[in-house]
Amino acid sequence: MVHPTSSDTVPTHPVQPAPRLSMRARSALWVWSFLAIPVLFYCVIRFYPTFNAFWLSLTDWDLMSEAEFIGFENYRRMFADPNFWQTFRNTFEYLIYGTPISLLIAFIIAYYLDKVRFAHNFLRALYFLPYITTAAAMAWVWRWFYQPPPTGLINGALGELGFGQIEFLGSTTNALPSIMVTAIWAGLGFQIIIFMAGLRAIPDTYYEAARIDGLGDWAILRKITLPLLKPTTVFLVVFISIAFLRIFDQVYNMTTNDPGGPLGTTKPLVLMIYETAFSSYDMGYAAAQTVVLFTILLVVSLLQLWILRDRA
Amino acid sequence: MATISLKKLTKIYGKAEVIHGIDLDIADGEFVVFVGPSGCGKSTTLRMIAGLEEVSGGEIRIGDRVVNELDPKSRNIAMVFQNYAIYPHMTVRENIAIGLYTQKLDKDEKAKRVENAAQLLGLTDFIDRRPAALSGGQRQRVAMGRAMVREPAAFLFDEPLSNLDAQLRAQMRIEIKALHQRLGSTIAYVTHDQVEAMTMADRIVVMKGGHILQQGRPMDIYSNPVDVFTARFIGTPSMNIIASEYASGAVSGNGGSPILLGVRPQDLHVGTTTDVGAGTGLSLSGPVTAVEPLGPETLVHFRVSGETVIGTAPATEIPPVGTEVTAHADPAQLHRFDAETEKALESL
Repeated sequence: MVHPTSSDTVPTHPVQPAPRLSMRARSALWVWSFLAIPVLFYCVIRFYPTFNAFWLSLTDWDLMSEAEFIGFENYRRMFADPNFWQTFRNTFEYLIYGTPISLLIAFIIAYYLDKVRFAHNFLRALYFLPYITTAAAMAWVWRWFYQPPPTGLINGALGELGFGQIEFLGSTTNALPSIMVTAIWAGLGFQIIIFMAGLRAIPDTYYEAARIDGLGDWAILRKITLPLLKPTTVFLVVFISIAFLRIFDQVYNMTTNDPGGPLGTTKPLVLMIYETAFSSYDMGYAAAQTVVLFTILLVVSLLQLWILRDRA
Repeated sequence: MATISLKKLTKIYGKAEVIHGIDLDIADGEFVVFVGPSGCGKSTTLRMIAGLEEVSGGEIRIGDRVVNELDPKSRNIAMVFQNYAIYPHMTVRENIAIGLYTQKLDKDEKAKRVENAAQLLGLTDFIDRRPAALSGGQRQRVAMGRAMVREPAAFLFDEPLSNLDAQLRAQMRIEIKALHQRLGSTIAYVTHDQVEAMTMADRIVVMKGGHILQQGRPMDIYSNPVDVFTARFIGTPSMNIIASEYASGAVSGNGGSPILLGVRPQDLHVGTTTDVGAGTGLSLSGPVTAVEPLGPETLVHFRVSGETVIGTAPATEIPPVGTEVTAHADPAQLHRFDAETEKALESL
């Protein structure tokens, strides 16, 4: 047996001098040199305008003249404006109905699509298609669906079946749900993909063990699938909520003659901000509305994360 | 408790038959270990017994019922999986209690059974923890607890120790064996680790390519393997297989046709001290290529006609690499196999 001797540990090549910076410092330097450009970009293009909006909301800036500090005048005006409250209600209607309905439909489709082997990829692609379609194009197609016949498919079908015609986009009660349906349809593809990824991540043995222990389909869903899908669900709830709070494309494109109409019953906050800023050029007021939207987004997101937090 | 019997059991995936009509009877309270390399069909067989895979042909009986078409839950069996399959969002107590989910027992009785199982497995201190806060061995015990509370007819284990480190594996082997002795339950246990098979089984079933090669008590299989595969698979290090023409010594052939000689490293003594069987048994010489001092003994690898052979030397004798050594084996310790079929021939 040959045993290593002390001579084996003596280096045969000259020892290199230690570098001036520690290994930690060098790696930090590299990391930050790569991060510098995006960080700079975010500061200039994202964060600065965001913080500037807070300041603008306290001024009467109208693009032309110097911004003048007017305190909380914009906020006073906004909270006294019935149109603002209408918009506020609309936005929350999109959020409160749209989010759970989207989530439920997406989950049901993902749950069953996950079990289907036949034409699985094709079906998945079909469901994903609406997500990659331009919002404006889809909004217009749905707008036509909702028309009276012969253009309107839905009313055409209702007529054929002998039912009465429904006023979709022209009615103050039906317009918002009609637009919401389009928005839900548009987002579904993405949510299905995310849910399916979440479902796939649950090991098969969990289900096999449950089957051996005698749990039925419903018990497996309730006790295993849904709890293990919680991180996915939390992500989607936050993601969908933010999407509904920022809804704009569908509304704008489906009500171009009277954006947010009829009588402002479909107008969301973002559309109001857009009009205030780029039709009325009332930048200070628009900034105040933006701050309100920002606050809502922040509160809703934090609230959801808190409610759905992992208690472990 | 119940017997399990397999009759002409086959499994076909598409066009490929992976289990070729196996027959096996597991007695009530018996601990049977299925062992074999990856893809030999041992897990598939177990999963068919569990009801997780459909039976393509043949019959499975648990007790006196044919269970081919029964759902897993109706078979009254419990299974422990390699990755434990315990639920991360439930506490140890909830995980064990899920085994009783469908049982029609009152709450107190269920709670009592869960407590008892936890106590038996030494989980009482962790009962309100989540699996994330447990070690691998503790998680495996939770999985066993979930199986135990059901008081099933039989336990099925699918490579339950494969995810544990060596030390824990050795400990869990003893625990499972002790548990079996205490509960007296029928156990079908799948592993690719022959040490687990040897140490735990009442009976070992060696499988390869969807066939049962041999079944029997661990020592019977160790002493009388039916073919080269089983001979090399059971026992560590693997049995040396040598073409008889290279072996000098009094070893008779197989009516003229070539034979293979098998000798376990533990029976092949390196050095000069073993003169007992010299001349009558097997005698091999060659240069040492590696040595593995294990403590109680030393494994010596040496080359004989291009083949590496492993022999054993006493702990204190560590031959330097490169030196020529001679090893002897007693004639009674030699296994003879037909060179063509690799089946065992009766020993000398």
